[in-house]
Amino acid sequence: MSKDAGKEAPPSLDEFSERLDAMRGEDEPEKPSSGPAWGKAMRASSDLLAGLAVGTLIGYLLDRWLGTSPWLLLVGIGLGFAAGLRNLSRSIK
Amino acid sequence: MFYPTAAGPMDQFEIIPIVDLNLGAIDISLTNSALWMLICTGAIIIFFAAATRRAAIIPSRLQSAAEVLYEFVSDLVRDTIGPEGRKFFPYVFTLFLWILIANLFGMIPTLPGLPHAAHTFTTTSHLIVTLALAMVTITIVIVYGFWKNGLGFFKLFAPSGLPIWLMPLLVLIEVISFLSRPLSLAIRLFANMFAGHVILKLFAGFVVSLLGAGGFVMAFGVAPFLGSVAVTALEFLVAALQAYVFAVLTCIYLNDAVHAADH
Repeated sequence: MSKDAGKEAPPSLDEFSERLDAMRGEDEPEKPSSGPAWGKAMRASSDLLAGLAVGTLIGYLLDRWLGTSPWLLLVGIGLGFAAGLRNLSRSIK
Repeated sequence: MFYPTAAGPMDQFEIIPIVDLNLGAIDISLTNSALWMLICTGAIIIFFAAATRRAAIIPSRLQSAAEVLYEFVSDLVRDTIGPEGRKFFPYVFTLFLWILIANLFGMIPTLPGLPHAAHTFTTTSHLIVTLALAMVTITIVIVYGFWKNGLGFFKLFAPSGLPIWLMPLLVLIEVISFLSRPLSLAIRLFANMFAGHVILKLFAGFVVSLLGAGGFVMAFGVAPFLGSVAVTALEFLVAALQAYVFAVLTCIYLNDAVHAADH
């Protein structure tokens, strides 16, 4: 009994660190969890909203200045939405 | 029987003048918002004064903390803007630290019994504060962009490789997209802080009203209590994350200003 125990070498540090690396490697891809993804969603929504808001505001102000209500407001909403989507596509990329 | 002092979840955002000041017709009173801005700024100054007082090769704990912060932002600026971004480091560092501290100080619980003006106040939960910060960023982008690139800065609005007939429309869209950046930056920080603090106070309010109901209903107070504990932890994450996001986006916009002509 005691002979067998003597034969078996204690697990070397190299082998231990290999095993540790293997186990860490398995866990690694799961690391970026809901935090960043949720932040990305927040970012996307505010990008879209800001584009629409600025476009609408510019259209509204130009309308008031030039007295062309409501045409420039409508154009502004359209362009603002497009700008919002442009923001979105840029931030997701 | 105890009576809760805080009423609705919106009371925490109320601006209360502490010292009335007037500059001509402009009201520049010291409010609780301004007071907390000063507290944040003061805390940062004290922290760095203490951390760099005895700078050593083998840093003290405080000095290590300051160095970690410094290197974190320094790496961020270098990775996003490149070597030319060095001159923007002081700005990004200041911005990041101030937003981080302002967000985190908003998490300090208010001592019970203090007058309303002395309650903990999250300055970044007001759109005007975050919008002012975003406006500073975008002003730097525009001024530096024109100074560095001259009229080449306009190339930012003209994506290359497009049919000429699409140009007018796309330039308009790009200009609106550019103008919406400060707003997007401001809304993101403000909305996160605002919504988080409202939810926090709502949950806490549920606990108080359920406990006040008495009888077996009090047992239901456990659920919102656990909820408010979870939201508190989440809010700390959001406080740090939003400061980081603000700094990252500032770097991205500054990068546009530096490299506008290369497009």
